[in-house]
Amino acid sequence: MSVREATPDVAETRRMLKKGIVIAGVGETEQGILPDRGSFDLLSEATKLTLDDAGITLADVDGMVTAFSFVEHTLMHATTFCDYLGFRPGYFASVAVGGATAPLMAVQAALAIDAGLAEVVLCVRGDNTRSGISSSGMIAQAREMTQGEFEWPYGVTTIGGYGLLAQRYMHEYNVPQEALAAVVATQSEHGALKWNAMLREPVTIEDVLASRMIATPFHVLDCSLVNDGAAAFLVTTADRAKSMKSKPVYITGIGEGYSHQYISQAQSVDSVRDGLGRAGRRAMEVAGITPADLDVAEIYDSFSFTPLIALEGFGVCGKGEAGDWVLEGNAKLGGTLPMNTAGGLIRQAHLGAMHHIVEAALQLRGEADDTARGGGNHQVPGAKLAITNGSGGILAATSALVLSSEPPSA
Amino acid sequence: MAERNEARTNWQAAQIKDGSRPEGRPFWEGTKQGKFLLPVGPDGKAFWYPRAFVPGTLEEVSWKESKGEGTVYTYSVHYLGPPGFSKKGDAPHVIALVDLDEGVRVMTNLVKDEENFPDIDIDQVRIGQRVRVVFDELSEDYTLPRFTIVD
Repeated sequence: MSVREATPDVAETRRMLKKGIVIAGVGETEQGILPDRGSFDLLSEATKLTLDDAGITLADVDGMVTAFSFVEHTLMHATTFCDYLGFRPGYFASVAVGGATAPLMAVQAALAIDAGLAEVVLCVRGDNTRSGISSSGMIAQAREMTQGEFEWPYGVTTIGGYGLLAQRYMHEYNVPQEALAAVVATQSEHGALKWNAMLREPVTIEDVLASRMIATPFHVLDCSLVNDGAAAFLVTTADRAKSMKSKPVYITGIGEGYSHQYISQAQSVDSVRDGLGRAGRRAMEVAGITPADLDVAEIYDSFSFTPLIALEGFGVCGKGEAGDWVLEGNAKLGGTLPMNTAGGLIRQAHLGAMHHIVEAALQLRGEADDTARGGGNHQVPGAKLAITNGSGGILAATSALVLSSEPPSA
Repeated sequence: MAERNEARTNWQAAQIKDGSRPEGRPFWEGTKQGKFLLPVGPDGKAFWYPRAFVPGTLEEVSWKESKGEGTVYTYSVHYLGPPGFSKKGDAPHVIALVDLDEGVRVMTNLVKDEENFPDIDIDQVRIGQRVRVVFDELSEDYTLPRFTIVD
């Protein structure tokens, strides 16, 4: 396979971000099993919450970026939702790259703003995935993750597809099952503090290991959630955000990377780590920072293994070392780099990487204390720099953002 | 002797039919004759999965027969399969990635080389295990290659 790497111009990406591209509002609905809520209903609520957070109305928005729905099938998701809202923005786009979609929505918004196509862009994603389709329908979605002719007929699932690379990784580096479970236990302590987390009871490593095995090496507690809910964020310029209500959070780095589409065609653990890791490494290069500068990490966690290889790919940990790093407590609130501080896809809710972006923004605003809403304080004191990413497919297409409480300096 | 899981067999044949592309037809014709054919470029190098053109170079594709022997790169024991493939209470099945000696990696099941190819006993599976192909006739149209352990 010939590989054609893009030859990105870091200076040009910095030029765009130096204009001050900010997240000026966020919103997230209740998450869980919400049988009375429809897909567009949830998106509308996330829209309203985000506009309220920024202190603006739909009349102030001129761009809309959406994703896709498992329930509301449409070839024109953005404009179908705009019609539902009663809204005719000058700029619209739907992004569909699986779990990599949310960071790419932010990139799409930034590009539109830089090109003068829009100035205030709403990015919204969510669905009634849990109530709108059956659980067997959800498992059948795995077909979309696999090669339809030469993988899917063997009875592979999304969980087991991830399991293939996870087991190889564990074999190569002698990583124990406890390392994966430690990701879940750590995030469960964080999810316990998030007001809308689906799972608020902390679990231990032993609880994870005692839970039902679904596909080796993953127990049911190693897996991300399937839920109803939506979230949104508003992208605009720092200048425009001055007249808005909330503290702006700067996008200071963006990056993408991938090594394969189908898991059977992933060359090696090294190639996967390098491919998806490129997203984070590039985002940090653009931002002019190193992993040691990060205060908080919101890392895509479709399964307990997923963040381990991303942490290594981004350079936070050495090869094969992420499991020990988590077991040592580095990912906990109070640790060296608190990770998935609202519980992540495994404990809070699964909206692709939307919650990762929302949580990163709230951390950098200093507003991650949910005590008043029935949760707890999961604020990383003084957090200024965050990395966040999303991964689509099975450890495949990955997009990352560096977010900062301060304007870009690089 | 294991009974044939008719529901699974029918589901697999239907999935292959639904998912198949014209450029994969020589492969499925080959398996009916007990051959594991690999697409190759002008340099004789095999690639996987079948494409109409050689990936990366877009050269012309021809086919050569694999010896059907390889090594387990990794595997995952599935206790839950896609609906249609398995139901609650079924024995676990093993999904494996096998590196064929011709230098391509394929997804497959590991099974026993017995009539109806029952799922392998999971304690027999190891990374690095040598395996060879068996041909499981699902229907008149489709014969699915699966792999069994070489002692």
